[in-house]
Amino acid sequence: MAKKITGTQALTGNRLSDGGVVFLASNGVWRAGLENARLAHSDEDIADLEAEGADAVEANRIVDPYLVRVEVRQGRLVPAAFREHMRTRGPSVNLDFNSRTNGQAASAA
Amino acid sequence: MYRYDEFDATFVRQRVDQFRGQVERRVNGELSEEEFRPLRLMNGLYLQLHAYMLRVAVPYGTLNSAQMRKLAFIADTYDRGYGHFTTRQNIQYNWPRLPDVPDILEHLAEVEMHAIQTSGNCIRNVTADHWAGVAADEAEDPRPHAELMRQWSSLHPEFSFLPRKFKIAVTGASADRAAIRYHDIGLRLKKNGQGEVGFEVFAGGGMGRTPMLAPRVRDWLAKEDLLPYLEAIMRVYNLHGRRDNKYKARIKILVHALGAEEFTAQVEREYARIDAPHIEPEQQELKRIAAYFAPPDYDALPGDDPALALRLEKHEDFAGWVERNVSAHRAPGYGIVNISLKPIGGIPGDASSDQMRAVADLAETFSLDEIRISHEQNLVLPNVAKRDLFALWQSLGEHSLADANIGLASDIIACPGLDYCGLATARSIPIAQDISRRLGDPARQREIGDMKIKISGCINACGHHHAGHIGILGLEKRGEEYYQITLGGSGDERASVGEIIGPGFSAENLTDAVETIVDTYMGLRENGETFLEAYRRVGPDPFKEAVYATH
Ligand code: SF4
Repeated sequence: MAKKITGTQALTGNRLSDGGVVFLASNGVWRAGLENARLAHSDEDIADLEAEGADAVEANRIVDPYLVRVEVRQGRLVPAAFREHMRTRGPSVNLDFNSRTNGQAASAA
Repeated sequence: MYRYDEFDATFVRQRVDQFRGQVERRVNGELSEEEFRPLRLMNGLYLQLHAYMLRVAVPYGTLNSAQMRKLAFIADTYDRGYGHFTTRQNIQYNWPRLPDVPDILEHLAEVEMHAIQTSGNCIRNVTADHWAGVAADEAEDPRPHAELMRQWSSLHPEFSFLPRKFKIAVTGASADRAAIRYHDIGLRLKKNGQGEVGFEVFAGGGMGRTPMLAPRVRDWLAKEDLLPYLEAIMRVYNLHGRRDNKYKARIKILVHALGAEEFTAQVEREYARIDAPHIEPEQQELKRIAAYFAPPDYDALPGDDPALALRLEKHEDFAGWVERNVSAHRAPGYGIVNISLKPIGGIPGDASSDQMRAVADLAETFSLDEIRISHEQNLVLPNVAKRDLFALWQSLGEHSLADANIGLASDIIACPGLDYCGLATARSIPIAQDISRRLGDPARQREIGDMKIKISGCINACGHHHAGHIGILGLEKRGEEYYQITLGGSGDERASVGEIIGPGFSAENLTDAVETIVDTYMGLRENGETFLEAYRRVGPDPFKEAVYATH
């Protein structure tokens, strides 16, 4: 059974070349950063996003696109699901190893 | 160390060429993602949350310096300057680009490495005691058998599409440092009354959502019968393993459903049917392999080094490091050096390319060119003369690799969790960092003593939380991370599965709860009991009371 889609949606996927997290922006362009995503509020807009996602798969640019629900929290656009929040932000730990500050956590979620 | 023969070398090169063609076809659209996914997984390439991840096999956790240098080179050239050593004795790169992966595999092949058997429903890279071949408590080095199993399993058509992934661990020691009873098959080499060496065989263990300890299916198996016997186990599994349900497909579910006795009876029946003539060539191959694992030429040294004794007296930090990080070696005058990859507040198991190169250099200078990866996400220099310990310790310190915390509260296993892993439900790394900062004061953790804290970011249990004295499982509830605590788990020769103590904790409250558990133990321990001993004596109640009264 298809999952019922509610609320504002964005379409996300991973770039084929490097797996980077991207969102469908305007005119078929995929960009990093949820703030660049084209948002869909109606069934029609959602169908458009999905159709463009299928095109990007066909064109071998994007892997496994899917819809994520987004909402505005404290004036910022964020994914509703915690996993998507983490996926959009990138690792929450400091990766600058060779500076020897290994492990100092960046700002918490 | 094992060296590839012509067959191995050709096989690995062919796989690289094959994968190069597959990547090209994926990039130019001849292969869809659906078609490509199984192919990339067969070569250790996953798509994780933010990027691809390449898992490189380190068979039975043994490496030489050239191989470690190559891992550093790959980290610098194709990734972000670091790698993550895992509980499967592998290394993972978190940021490779798809078009670069064939080149990475080609570099690996140059030093006889690959990423085969690190994914998919096959027999995975065999793991082993990280002190294999040098441990003082060992009957025999299990690695020649591990290598034989690698060769046998990597091309066996019957085992390429098993109901689920299949993990084998092997040890030759009385103390279990390879968590063998938590594996699909666990093998222990031991001596019988006549001084002969054979295998004790366990089958049907595992972690994941249904943790189980493998029951013993054979108390004694002659060494030469190993592969036929394993084949019999695999056949019973292949025949009855649940292919219809992913969650019930592991061999542990089958062993549990049939009962250990019936499972064993079926294996024995199958075993009796297997023809033995192929044993002879296997024995010749085993002999060929074993020659590579012959003990190196150790210097004839006195058991104790007088200069070392003086230094231990004079340098308290050095003495503390030797006490925790250096273990008994079978050769007189030598020690096994365990290098902690758990700096206080650090990311468990991560090493920078600089650190990898430093370890490679130090292995060449001080450890007869050998390095090991432990399933506890640390590194090992297995062959260090005691007279060199001080110089080695100083050099390790220059690379932030001299933390004296092996087996202590800050020597935490943590899987990548939701900072990287596509399957995760919560983060593991920041939790490990927080606990390590809280308990990591050197005097305090020494006072606490032996303590294994293990953290997984989801039910798959890659962080071995079921085997943690304190186990932590990250879950998600209503968009928030929360953490379940288990107590009393152990992966050693007295293995046990940890018990859930009650409702979970938020990320903010978790470290307080862990500290309360530790303080409770400190308050009730008797006569130098370790945490695990105390827990086994008193059970969970005092810990539950303390934790839920205050949190
Ligand atoms: S335990 Fe879960 S979160 Fe951690 S590495 Fe394994 S699959 Fe990923």
